[in-house]
Amino acid sequence: MFSTSSQRKFWTFSDEGELAILREKHNLNYISKHGTHIDEFQRYNFFLSPDEERLLLKQYELHLKEFCKRFSPPMPKGVVGTAFHYFKRFYLYNSTMDYHPKEILATCVYLACKVEEFNVSIGQFVANIKGDRDKASDIILNNELLLMQQLNYHLTIHNPFRPVEGFLIDIKTRCSLANPERLRGGIDEFLEKVFLTDACLLYAPSQIALAAVLHAASKEQENLDSYVTDMLFRDAGQDKLAILIEAVRKIRSLVKMVESPAREKVRIIEKKLDRCRNQENNPDSEIYKRRMRELLDEDDLPHTGSSRMSLDTSGVSTVLSPSAS
Amino acid sequence: MDDQACPRCKTTKYRNPSLKLMVNVCGHALCESCVDLLFLKGSGSCPDCNVPLRRSNFRVQLFEDPMVEKEIDIRKRVLKDYNKKEEDFATLREYNDYLEEIETIVYNLTNNIDIVGTNKRIEQYKKDNKEIIMKNKAKIGREEVELEEILEIEKQMEELRRQEINRLEQEAKKQKIREKEALIDELMFAEGDAKEILNTFAQNKANKQEEVLPAVPKVTQFSTGVKFTRLSTQPTLPLIEEGPLYKYEAPIVPDRCGPDAPSIEDIVRCGYLKHVRAENETEKAGGYKSTLPCLRALQDALAGLYHTS
Repeated sequence: MFSTSSQRKFWTFSDEGELAILREKHNLNYISKHGTHIDEFQRYNFFLSPDEERLLLKQYELHLKEFCKRFSPPMPKGVVGTAFHYFKRFYLYNSTMDYHPKEILATCVYLACKVEEFNVSIGQFVANIKGDRDKASDIILNNELLLMQQLNYHLTIHNPFRPVEGFLIDIKTRCSLANPERLRGGIDEFLEKVFLTDACLLYAPSQIALAAVLHAASKEQENLDSYVTDMLFRDAGQDKLAILIEAVRKIRSLVKMVESPAREKVRIIEKKLDRCRNQENNPDSEIYKRRMRELLDEDDLPHTGSSRMSLDTSGVSTVLSPSAS
Repeated sequence: MDDQACPRCKTTKYRNPSLKLMVNVCGHALCESCVDLLFLKGSGSCPDCNVPLRRSNFRVQLFEDPMVEKEIDIRKRVLKDYNKKEEDFATLREYNDYLEEIETIVYNLTNNIDIVGTNKRIEQYKKDNKEIIMKNKAKIGREEVELEEILEIEKQMEELRRQEINRLEQEAKKQKIREKEALIDELMFAEGDAKEILNTFAQNKANKQEEVLPAVPKVTQFSTGVKFTRLSTQPTLPLIEEGPLYKYEAPIVPDRCGPDAPSIEDIVRCGYLKHVRAENETEKAGGYKSTLPCLRALQDALAGLYHTS
């Protein structure tokens, strides 16, 4: 139930201002941590600004949508929605300069597959990725735990897809609307766009679903306002109705404002990111490779030590036990 | 120090507290898991002495020294054949010699002295005394049956005795009531001093009790001469402390933050089910009903509609 969920308690925010503050905070954190050797003025040329990060993430959300669409075997809608949630949540508290969105994107989809019980193996999964697949599976598996930790292990996502089904059943039963199934095209299109906005960090999934249904109805020149006011909110009172109307209006305007970022701008940002990103988290960098090697060695050390120990004790026990001889 | 250890896998009682050592006829111990492993097929040979063994003959080692276990095994086997009784011998001397022989055989077999010869000796004895062995075996069987009969009779006697005691107690109670009534009658209708009447009645009662006392001498031993271990016939059951009784409380339904969804009855009555896929026969067998997903979708749609940021 959404009203008691971690999604409502920790991941549904009051307005866009709050989101902007969070995003700005981690951007500044990163710059102050890694920019000590660069003077004040040049910092802004070297690092990404919060706006640039935002633009980059929008581009990667489009990539995420495309990736899920082309995924084989075909992916249920719930997985896509969950992956979007994870991606957005992760970058509320992390900077793109720390963790490259390309890597987190794949990890989000992989984790969403697991959580939504869409069973694909890592081998099957990376078959959908272009380029070096072994490297990709390494990156995904390395980042998976980090992602879960950053999500605070709040893995259950309430998506708007089931509420949409509920509204359609309810409309078919209680409304005289002719052939409600024709709304589906409009609803699906709307929900696809919703995930490119911040709506899922601001509103309840049922509110988003209702906005989608109302939007699709108005596209079909139908009016469902009486369904909302006379059936859904009959016993609720004016204040609650006003809140819902405002929410639906806001969600629809958010969706209307969706536009894909300019190619040229994104290319410049990506180039900038290649220079200013945290090399410790870049799997191609020397620092990263060296650290992984050290970790491996560390793993080996206590292991060999313990095996020697166990050899010793087994020797002692054969000497001590008289029945063995 | 507890240094019981499996000679094969070296597991000790200290490392695995649930370690159970098993022994077979050869007297070499093995832990339970080794037995499981080695005798997967039901039979195999002892890893210590290569003697062929059956898995079914393994039993838990009771004595610390496996030799004792081995000896017990052998003795059991030998005594099956050497089952003569004292009555079968003419003199005590002969009987003692016979017992001595048994001990020698057991000792030899246990300590691996002249096993072939000893086994031959047993075979020879078996052949020579075939009839006596058979007879004694049957006799032992008969004796067991007789013992059981005696036990049965004892049980019946016990039952009878209990009934008798019950009857006597009932009678005593009735007697008491009768006496009381008589006393009250006497007090109501007699002319004499009330105190005197009370005194005479008390006297009577005391006299009667003395008469009753030397009744039914308590049986304190079985017919075999074994004393009862429990003296009181009715043991008191220990009272078990119980906490307060469990009380069901309906779970608290959290605020759904939206309009109420229809109940399952409403879903059926108002025709919601026309718009969901009906369950098929296979799904019905698993307890699935189309009302469940329908209700879930409706609840999900309505919950959170009042959400305010």
